[in-house]
Amino acid sequence: MSAADSTYDVIIVGAGLGGGIAAGVLAESGQRVLLLERGRDLRYRDIPGDHLRHHRLSIYGDNTTHEPAGHPRVFVDPQGHSRTVYPHEADYHNNALTVGGGARIWGMQAWRFHPDDFRMASRYGTPAGSSLADWPIAYADLAPFYERAEHEVGVAGDPSATDYAPRERAFPLPPVPATPTGAWLARGAATLGWNAFTPPLAVNTKPYLGRAACVQCRQCIGFACPTDARNGSHNTLLPRALATGRCTLITRAHVARVLTDASGRAHGVEYFAPTTPDSAQTERRTAHASTIILAGGAIETARLLLLSTSPQHPRGLGNHSDHVGRHLQGHYYPIVSGLLPVGFENPNLGPGVSIATTQFNHGNPGIIGGAMLANDFVKLPIIFWRSHLPPELPRWGLANKKAMRELYLRGIDLRGPVQEIPSPDSRVTLDPHVRDHFGLPVARLSGTTHPETLRTAEFIRARAEDWLRAAGAERVWSSPMDLRLSASQHQAGTARLAADPRDGVTDPFGRVHGHDNLWITDGSLHVTNGGFNPALTIMALAFRAAAKIAATR
Amino acid sequence: MPLTPTQLEALRALLDRLIPNDEFPGALAAGTDKFILQLLTHACAAEAPFLAQGLTQLDTEAIARHGQTFATLPITAQDALIFALEHNRTATPWPAAFPAAAFINRLIDLAAEGFYADPANGGNRDGASWRMIGYDPLLPARPSAP
Ligand SMILES: Cc1cc2nc3c(=O)[nH]c(=O)nc-3n(C[C@H](O)[C@H](O)[C@H](O)COP(=O)(O)OP(=O)(O)OC[C@H]3O[C@@H](n4cnc5c(N)ncnc54)[C@H](O)[C@@H]3O)c2cc1C
Ligand code: SF4
Repeated sequence: MSAADSTYDVIIVGAGLGGGIAAGVLAESGQRVLLLERGRDLRYRDIPGDHLRHHRLSIYGDNTTHEPAGHPRVFVDPQGHSRTVYPHEADYHNNALTVGGGARIWGMQAWRFHPDDFRMASRYGTPAGSSLADWPIAYADLAPFYERAEHEVGVAGDPSATDYAPRERAFPLPPVPATPTGAWLARGAATLGWNAFTPPLAVNTKPYLGRAACVQCRQCIGFACPTDARNGSHNTLLPRALATGRCTLITRAHVARVLTDASGRAHGVEYFAPTTPDSAQTERRTAHASTIILAGGAIETARLLLLSTSPQHPRGLGNHSDHVGRHLQGHYYPIVSGLLPVGFENPNLGPGVSIATTQFNHGNPGIIGGAMLANDFVKLPIIFWRSHLPPELPRWGLANKKAMRELYLRGIDLRGPVQEIPSPDSRVTLDPHVRDHFGLPVARLSGTTHPETLRTAEFIRARAEDWLRAAGAERVWSSPMDLRLSASQHQAGTARLAADPRDGVTDPFGRVHGHDNLWITDGSLHVTNGGFNPALTIMALAFRAAAKIAATR
Repeated sequence: MPLTPTQLEALRALLDRLIPNDEFPGALAAGTDKFILQLLTHACAAEAPFLAQGLTQLDTEAIARHGQTFATLPITAQDALIFALEHNRTATPWPAAFPAAAFINRLIDLAAEGFYADPANGGNRDGASWRMIGYDPLLPARPSAP
């Protein structure tokens, strides 16, 4: 063993949302944890407030990725043309490459899934060509862990926000304040007879767990929070892990493969890390542990399983029945814009999301599943210019400039994460040609969602238009959606939970079938991705898996 | 410098029509030309030769139609020409790889990106466009986040 080799109880790959949760639970239970993260541990000042380079609009880059050229992927379009893509491009399907993962700069919507989101196949049947399936666990199995996530990470919510999903304990924080656009939408929902309430957000609406409250700035989603009121694992469970003295976090550490022995037991990882913390030079190291947890996000975890071949596992780990990398999904997002007859006097304050309905998550005639609908974050001017001006308006000249000043404060819009009907052909494989900075084959993304997703999305788009009209919008518009690959920020599904090894990659707790000490705690586990933003479910699964590991060690 | 003086003159004249001055500053007053030059030397360096070629072609087009460069045309003629290019109605042959509409649309995007993005990007001096529309990021003077 070289000097750089070392031994721990648990190695976790990825200090993103799910990895950070697992680190906290396990370090506090007495385990010595090595947490390897390929990104950096970025401070507030390291994440620029650049309106053209952030995680909602990344025209020329984003505000967390360092050395983007070193992390390409290959995207294959529906016509079969492939091209190399970089983190700021839409077809890369990025989350965020930093300690904290996507949640470092996320929108904080922290939803529990609907009980029927766990039994989609039983409720709707499985359409031909899709891989729609039930989860091997039920809502009740996750409920206590949703509760832990809400309390230990911090979620602000309206008591009626999860009427669709029974809860035992109230939210720890009061809901985000109402906004002027929300008031119009509340009246609209009342006219239509739809439920409407303040959505749950993982934000400190008052000081909580030693950190300050949100000051309602207007530069929220996609950026770092100036008061650290944006809750994720990076400012809760990860600091708890580090405080035990038992968790070692190494940043800029890129895991290249999981090492297994002939019996299938995982005994370590091989990774690349800087020779000294600030060096540009990297070296290959190995680390050993009796439990290995993968939490690289749905695309990178699948890639790592596929890269970790051995003579016993020539197709990669957990890939005994060819599920690794398949069923890649995210959320189709119908976006509907409109104009109120007058500008709201007080512009919305941040975060800006303030009203939602769960009226159409299930029970839509002739439609599989559905979506929650909500209003959106405070719009940056350049995002309003690009995506929310009426389509018939000239794109330049005085007419455009005047429209910007007359319409910016009249804009109103709705969107919703449509539960996708997964396809086994929407997938992550290894690209045969393109390699990353370390010489490793990169993720190749190909396929599309199942056409049924489109039907649900179009149904939801029409309901969003109904809501805007009922709210009093004068003009309402949106664009039809097309069949494409969907993953990006809400990426999930590539190592699905399954009771039977033939049906998926991991057991119902997230342990890889056939490898009794190899676990996953990220979005890869989701069998289906709910009609809600996925992160609270990722956290709940991570709490549950980590508690199980702690109990069995 | 990614552009010749003539190309720069065409760029500035074009920006002045894409986001003109009125009772509020327009693109030139807000420094959007400098934002674009900065991009062409850095993030969009690979694209710079195409845009430079497009600016030359813009003058060729103006001369073919009116006998003078784009920058010296009256504004009504400038606006009519921009509109024609947007619809790929051209009097001279544009490169197939970079047709007139693609060129003009790219410049429309670049102008808006500079003008409506954060002042630190250089094209929205003193937050001129933000004041015009009523946006303020309301960031605390002293961030308390680590
Ligand atoms: C702008 C934005 C807004 C969002 N808003 C919301 C929202 O409102 N609500 C919601 O529910 N979700 C939201 N999301 C999505 C949410 O952030 C993700 O669902 C969540 O972060 C996924 O968690 P994860 O643990 O699966 O992966 P991640 O959080 O992506 O973490 C994976 C980590 O692993 C690291 N990693 C990957 N491969 C390796 C390797 N080989 N070696 C070492 N490290 C590796 C990555 O760098 C990363 O840090 C948003 C995302 C973005 C980008
Ligand atoms: S709106 Fe609140 S949570 Fe969002 S970045 Fe601003 S202060 Fe932070």
